[in-house]
Parts: sequence; C-alpha cells; structure tokens
Amino acid sequence: MRFDVVIIGGGLAGMTAATELQRSGLRCAVVAEGLSLNNVSRKEFKAAGGTLLQGDKVTGGVIKDGRLLCVNTQKLGDVVLEADSFILATGKYFSRGLVADMDKVYEPLFGLDVDYDPDRSTWFDRSFAAPQKFLEFGVNTQDGAALKDGEPIVNLYPVGEVLKGISSAGSDASRAILDSAEAAVQAIKGRN
Amino acid sequence: MPVKNDFDVIIIGGGITGAGTARDCAMRGLKVLLIERHDIATGATGRNHGLLHSGARYAVKDSESAEECIRENKILRSIASNCVEDTGGLFITLPEDEDAGFGLDYQKTFIEACQKAGIDAKAISPSEAREMEPSVNPSLIGAVVVPDGSVDPFRLCSANVTDAAMHGAKVLVYTQFLDFIREGDTILGVKVLDTRTGQEAEYRAPVTVNAAGIWGHGVAEKAGVHIGMYPAKGALLVFGHRVNNVVINRCRKSADGDILVPGDSVTVIGTTSTKVPFEECDNMEVTPEEVSLLLREGCALCPALASTRILRAYAGVRPLVADDSDPTGRSISRGIVCLDHESRDGVKGLVSITGGKLMTYRLMAELATDAVCRKLGVNQVCTTAETPLPGSVDGRIETVSKRFEGKVSLGQKGAAGRQGDLVGKINFTTAEDKKLVCECENVTLAEIKYAVAELGVRTLEDLRRRTRVGMGTCQGTLCIRKAAKALAIALGDPSLEGKLAADYLDERWKGMRAVGWGDTLREMEFMQRVYKFQKPYSYDEI
Repeated sequence: MRFDVVIIGGGLAGMTAATELQRSGLRCAVVAEGLSLNNVSRKEFKAAGGTLLQGDKVTGGVIKDGRLLCVNTQKLGDVVLEADSFILATGKYFSRGLVADMDKVYEPLFGLDVDYDPDRSTWFDRSFAAPQKFLEFGVNTQDGAALKDGEPIVNLYPVGEVLKGISSAGSDASRAILDSAEAAVQAIKGRN
Repeated sequence: MPVKNDFDVIIIGGGITGAGTARDCAMRGLKVLLIERHDIATGATGRNHGLLHSGARYAVKDSESAEECIRENKILRSIASNCVEDTGGLFITLPEDEDAGFGLDYQKTFIEACQKAGIDAKAISPSEAREMEPSVNPSLIGAVVVPDGSVDPFRLCSANVTDAAMHGAKVLVYTQFLDFIREGDTILGVKVLDTRTGQEAEYRAPVTVNAAGIWGHGVAEKAGVHIGMYPAKGALLVFGHRVNNVVINRCRKSADGDILVPGDSVTVIGTTSTKVPFEECDNMEVTPEEVSLLLREGCALCPALASTRILRAYAGVRPLVADDSDPTGRSISRGIVCLDHESRDGVKGLVSITGGKLMTYRLMAELATDAVCRKLGVNQVCTTAETPLPGSVDGRIETVSKRFEGKVSLGQKGAAGRQGDLVGKINFTTAEDKKLVCECENVTLAEIKYAVAELGVRTLEDLRRRTRVGMGTCQGTLCIRKAAKALAIALGDPSLEGKLAADYLDERWKGMRAVGWGDTLREMEFMQRVYKFQKPYSYDEI
C-alpha cells in the first residue's frame, strides 16, 4: 500500500499532524496502537478521509540511502506501507516509543540516535516531585529529520514525546508537543 | 520536663522483637512502656522476605537455629494464623549445583539434617516438583518439600503491639530514645524525644530492654556497654505479581539471592549479605550490582522472573552479633543473644535482646521477658506460645465472614484476611465505607478509618504497614491520592493530604529508582503523569 505520509502512533502529536496533512490533500495512514484515548481526533481524521490502522503496530522498516522506504506492521504481514514521508509519534517509555535497559535507552523501531545519559545514577531525582532527567531523554534530530548513527533519515520526522526534551509527565508540555507536530507538517508540505 | 516512674519495664524498639517482648511482659502482668522512634516494623522487621522458615535452610550448618525455626514455625501457624500463609516450600537442586559439589549427595545430607532437627523434609521427583510449582526452573534435577510458608511481618508486629496494648502496655511511636537516666551503675529509665512535637520527656522503670535491632548497638553505647554488632545489609526485589505459589529455595550452601517467596499479591527474591557501616543503616539504597545479582539468581530458581516487571527494591540490616573472623557474615549463627548487662558489664537494670531472626522473635521475647522477670523477682510463666494473637483467635475467613451482613464485598474479604477476627471492629455500614481505596489489595475506606482509630496510623507508610495499601502491582500509582485524602480526613485535618501523598511517593520512588528500567521505568513515567504535582490536590471525589 502506498500513501503520501504514514504516521506511526495515534496519540496527540500523531493525530494532530495526520489530520492537518490529510486536510491539506495528502493521503495519510495512521498506525494507532493501544489505548483509544484519542477517539475524537481519530474520528476527525477518518472524517477527513484518512486511513486508520486501528490496533495495529509498526514492527520495523526498510531504510536505504538515508530514506525510510516502507514500514511493516503486525497485522499486514508481508504487505508493506510505503510513503514519501513518515512521522514517528510513538511517545516515550510507557507507549514503548523508547525502551530503557539497565544501561541504555534506545528507539526500538529503527534504532534511531537517542540522547540519554549513560550514567544511570543521574536518571532520577530523589524527590518524586522534582524534575526527572529520564523524562528528557529522546530521539535526536537535524532540521526536523531523525538521526541514525549521526546521519539524517531525511523523510522520517519524529514528533511529540519521542523527541528529546519533550515530556508531558510532570509538566504541561502540550504546547511543545503541538509545536513539534506543526513543524513536521510544514516540512512535509514543503516537500510535496 | 515531666518525670514519670510508673512502669515495670521500658522496651526500646518497635520492631518485632520489641513488640513481642512488650506483649510477653504485659501478659505476665508487668506495666510496660514500648518506645519506637519511627513507626512499628520500620527496620529489619519490615525489610526481609516475609519467609516463614521451616528451618531447613539452617539444618546442615546450624541445627540449633533449625530446631528453633521449626518449633516457632509451628507456633506461629497456630497463634498468628491471619499473618501466615501455608504455601509450602521447595529446595531445588540444579545441574550447576552438582558441579559445585551440592548435587544429590548433598540433598541426602540435607534431608537427614532436616529430619534430625524435626523438619518434615521429603524428596520428590523433578516432575512432581514442576506439578507442585509450575514456575520452577524446569532443568532441576532434584527437589525436597519442606514446611516453609510466608508471613506478613507488618501484620505480625502490629498484632503483637495491639495485644500488648490490650494487656495494658503503653505504646509510644515516633518517640526517639535519647539517653539513659543513670545513677551510678544503675539504669533508672530513659530520656526520649517526641519527634512530632519536639517535646522531651523522661520515663522511669527498674528494667529497660534494648530491643532496637541494629540500632541497639548505639543504644548500648549510651549505657557505656559494648555489643559487637555486625550490620549485614540484605537487599531484595519485589516482582509485579505472584509468580510462584510455593517458596523456592536452592538446596546448597546458603548464598545470595536463593530464596523466592510469594506473599499476598507479589513475589520477593532475596537476599544479599554485605557488611555496611553503621552510618548507612538509616538509609539503605540498593546498588545496581545487587539488583543484577538478585535477578540472575532469581532467574535460576524461576526463569519467568526475567520477563516479569520488578516493582521495587529494598534493603534491611540484620542485627547480627559480630564475629570478626568471618568477613562475609554468612557463617555467623543467626542465634539469639540475650544479655543481662548486670552480670556481663556491671550495669544494673538493662537487658539487651538481639541477633535472632523474624522467625524466632517470640522465643527472643520469651528469653528477654524471663530476664526481666528475674530482675524484678516476678514469677510468671510465658504463655505467648499458646495464646493466639488478636486477629487469629478464630481467623478463618468463613468464621470471620459471618460477621458481615449480606453479601461479603472484596474489601471485607481483604480486611478479614488482614485483620482476622478483629475485622468485627471495622464499621462497614455505609456504601461509602465499603468503597475500595486500594484496588490491588482491596483496602476500603472503612479499614483506613479503623487503622487510624485503633492501630495508631499517622502517615501513609504507617497505613501501608497495617493494611498493605499501595503495596500491590500499581505501587500506589492509582490509589495514593484517594488514600491520602481518606487518611487526612480520618486524621481530622484535610490539609495534610498533599504532604501525606508526597512523603509516600518519595518512599515508593526510592524503591523504584534502584530498578528504573524496562517495565518499571514505564510505570515510573506513568506515575509521574498521574501525579503532576499541581498543589494543592484538586479532586473532590474519592
């Protein structure tokens, strides 16, 4: 299946970007795993003509010459989702956009570069109420595109909490989340 | 400064040893004062496996401890039925144990030693073991069934304190021992500080018992006597659900991380043993090395642990009496040490009771009370081994449930399991009272009100120790706001709510930080989201 944009993740950031892109005339597909906390935005997206792969999950993709060509999902099996642009809106640890091991933090779908402190003793503040450093960790970007091994994947745009420096846990970061979604929308519109 | 002289005996320390001693002394007719600087069961009492030892672990090396254990094991099953769960236990032999010289030959030695100590130990085949406990490492080559169980140490301690109070003992928590009142070579009493009001007071009694666990070292120093204590830290991990239903041990020489105990809704692996400086005893942090070791050894007992979320890590300090010749602390006998400082050091009116273990607390209390009675010239026999603790007089769920009218709710069942026959004191009349506050452990508003009114609860940690609130799989993430509000109202000061919740969350956070990766980190992010710390808390509905 081929789309203009595939959005991985159906949370606040993913749905906001998807709906705006779909309304601008691009053909979008959202792969939305898990909790349906965003039913309203998902309805809006579908009303705008978007394709929603509800309850499915991206398992990986093919990266070639600095571009993401397609992604695989759990339910589609051998059928891949191809697109000109991809948005990564998988969130932080709870939604498994990031995975923490005992000694490292990584991005599980594409192995993107994650900004984190290898010294685990710095991850947490002793006080629960204080800002927590582990919530600041996230994917590194260059001009909005994801970095892998220091090189940009030019058509993969991380948005929302999977990005470094953005977390809604312990603070109100909805502005930053929406801003990152808007930046990706503008970049993708510019490409098309 | 008020001076009081109306006690026969003052007991320092509200752990299980002090609580048991207070109960025994009070039951023998003595006027008792128990002082505790924090809450009951805050030291080693509440920081162990919660294992009801059969004694099998000690059978080969320390038959005296093994015999004490099995005797007390049987006693606790009868006097503390609502604190004990008869899970049964397995001692398994793995292929690698064979290579290390602890193969099936050792199993024979082990079974003989158990039987000699009076422990009913029986070899079963690996397949029988897997049927009995499906989570056990399937590569086991041998297994022995023993009468291990699990025990809720908080509940056990609370039951002892409650019974002491029912027999007239005065119990002062959040009351810190400062110094002894002393005249020449005689201890006349204690100077204490109420840590909540900042008020100092003095209490006098002809005998004082030092039952302060590892902190008893410092208490003794204040009397000018030295007990060579050995603070041996033991770290443990709690897993997110009850992985096993039978206690699993390794059938080999005692080592780190070789006991896996199911308790209520969780499973606990432990422990390590490292000597720590006395300064560290007040604030134990579990290290990454300890976590790795416990995980590795835990997975050898039960491979499913590798993919089970770790709820938290915690550590306690065993109050062992030092033997300078062994640096590991493993070879030291867990034996009971009861010191009459008059005959030992020439200091009159002071007894120290230390060493031992949770399992033998009642015997320790008996020995300490015997010493107190000798000093006071009181001739009363100990009856604690035959007299059920409050909650266990007839704690069977069927009997307890008869006390409720109509359909028994989850919260009532939970309360009956925890509070035993005392559950009749809990007032479940309104629908509001029956509302669940903690859904992991089925704790109701009614039980919280009861704990405040009858069990001396002042903080959420205190409440946790009496009711298990927030101890289940969510670690308080989904209930602490409700619990804080309910507790603040029950305490008569709704403004306490934010502080109560914040203190509790810091304590949970401490245990989670040590294991903050994988699914535990996911839970931590979720917890941060739930408690966004908009102060004051803005919710109206429980």
